[in-house]
Amino acid sequence: MPAYYLEALTVTLGIFLLMAEAFCSCKSKAWVGVTAAIGLTVIFGLLFISIGPDTMPQADWAKWPLWNFYQFDGLAKFYKGFALICTILVLLMAVDFRKILSRFTELPDSESGTGEFYALPVFACAGMMWLASAKDLAGAFVSLELVTVTFYILVAYMRRNVGSLEAGVKYLILGALSTGFLVYGIAWVYGTTETMSLEKLAHLEHITNPTGLLFGIALVIVGLGFKMGAVPMQVWIPDVYQGAPTPVTAFLSVGSKAAGFILTIRFLEPFLHSDITRGPVLTILLILASATLLFGNLAAIPQTNFKRLLAYSSIAHAGFLLLALAAGKDAPADLSSAKVVSFYLATYLLMTIGVFFILAQVRIQRDGETIRDFNGLGKTNPQLALALTVLLAALAGVPLTAGFWGKFFVFSLAVDAKLWIGIGIAFISAAAGFYYYFNVIRAMWWFSPSKDDVIVLPTISKICISVLTVAVLVIGFWPQPIWALLH
Amino acid sequence: MPSYLFWLFSTVMLIGGTAVIAFRNPVSSALSVVTCFVGLAGLFIGLSAFFVGVIQILVYTGAVMVLFLFIIMLLDLKDEERRANSLAPVAAGLGLVIAFVVQLIGILSRSPDKSLPPLDHATLASAAADYLPSGKIAASLNQGKLPDVHLIGHTLFTQYNLPLQILGVLLLVATVGVVVLSKKQAG
Repeated sequence: MPAYYLEALTVTLGIFLLMAEAFCSCKSKAWVGVTAAIGLTVIFGLLFISIGPDTMPQADWAKWPLWNFYQFDGLAKFYKGFALICTILVLLMAVDFRKILSRFTELPDSESGTGEFYALPVFACAGMMWLASAKDLAGAFVSLELVTVTFYILVAYMRRNVGSLEAGVKYLILGALSTGFLVYGIAWVYGTTETMSLEKLAHLEHITNPTGLLFGIALVIVGLGFKMGAVPMQVWIPDVYQGAPTPVTAFLSVGSKAAGFILTIRFLEPFLHSDITRGPVLTILLILASATLLFGNLAAIPQTNFKRLLAYSSIAHAGFLLLALAAGKDAPADLSSAKVVSFYLATYLLMTIGVFFILAQVRIQRDGETIRDFNGLGKTNPQLALALTVLLAALAGVPLTAGFWGKFFVFSLAVDAKLWIGIGIAFISAAAGFYYYFNVIRAMWWFSPSKDDVIVLPTISKICISVLTVAVLVIGFWPQPIWALLH
Repeated sequence: MPSYLFWLFSTVMLIGGTAVIAFRNPVSSALSVVTCFVGLAGLFIGLSAFFVGVIQILVYTGAVMVLFLFIIMLLDLKDEERRANSLAPVAAGLGLVIAFVVQLIGILSRSPDKSLPPLDHATLASAAADYLPSGKIAASLNQGKLPDVHLIGHTLFTQYNLPLQILGVLLLVATVGVVVLSKKQAG
């Protein structure tokens, strides 16, 4: 099956869901989310039998101009799978979150306003899958906008909730600003190189004066930094993450971030191969990485709201990912920067989505998101507390969890590239990480609960949390499955 | 385009853009956007992008902004209240803008000037080789005309077909979003 069918099917699924939801008079909208998740699972299965034009060069479709905008290499395959799994989990989380969702949409007693909430992530997923295949800046830009516009809507979805509306407005304004930077940067790159195709950008030998090109690259990095959550373009993250509906926050912190990183990898690849641009680009990345690590981790320490804490933690993880990019190791190497970033993101998906599943249920059943609301979870729900302990320990990077390997590979890349300042800052950051993640663990096990209400997990959440926690532990001592996917 | 025309249209755009923010009355702001778009259309036409320039006037100034004005008038928005601006944010904003402009000037002074290829008979005829010889585009190019509507259509629907489809999905999502975020449901 030609690979471009994947996105076409995803979009078709989204349109089908919109139509079915509009014409069905069912009271509960949970089936929309479940159908979407099942459909995306089927598409995930099809991913493994999809082929690019290299496998079948004699076929008609392999000669279409489509392939000027679309590539299907190992990295594209990995990030398509990543987007699909992330969306499936977010949709399942949204199904269990619908009580809060319907409370803050039109007609609080019914779910009638929530149907589109399950269809929109499918479109965002299609955008992320197109981004994974980006081969041309024009194509990449429209796909990125598809993702961003979907997120504008999703963030503000709980429109009877002031926090969600505020988050929506902030995200809209800052997102538009970042888009401006991105387009301006692309214009500069196009102006100096006269091409927007990433393949042709790899041939920069004829450029004698790289100043304009470097300016363009810097502007594009600023624009992408918003998506990745890199300092100093991180200002929107805490407020937006806190205000958005919890499943959307999870989607933002995993899906949107991964989309930002794959586009950055794709965009920087040609420039890292050229001697004129390689040095300055790596310097910018190192500065961004150090600032992001320091800010994300140090600002997370005084947080009392768990959702906000996770926002800062997502900035901190972006710092580690940027450090891996700053090491600038090229693709043929066994432990290249792109592979380490992908591995890190895969483990980050497991840990973060797991934590957000638990947070969503605590939000619903204890009606709060502060760390205090986790007090005594070890006494009321020992198994849930154990799962959260494992996930948080993994986020901190404790050995024998998936999070450890990600950090370990980043550090070994940085040592290889001799980025001593970056390594020093990363060590301080990792230590700070231990402090604030264990703060939550302490609240769960040391403090007594304010109320003795036991949290009852819905079936979907229960299954997802157990699967994710077990996966984090298994990958902790056996990371080969993810590597196998990357090769 | 003669450079004095470039400066003229850019100045119109800059004045329009500044006026959008400076005016307190929403109607005046919307009309300033129209001014800004007219300047932009002038720039497009100066760069030989005649079709884009005309569309800029027809669609943006003609349709979109008029719709905007209608909505503003229907909602009967009041003048924005003047807020006391504290010094720190203004200073920070100005500092950023000045730093950016200084950098821009530095880069522009170091980059070589490029000139647009002239749109004469020879250039147009040589471009005709890329298109179907019996087609309309090649015929007009050989006659020394610029069939820009056909060229844009050709590029969009052959080469840039995938981004165009993605834009279609984007528009669908935006439409759904508008409905979702604004609809009132009958109880």
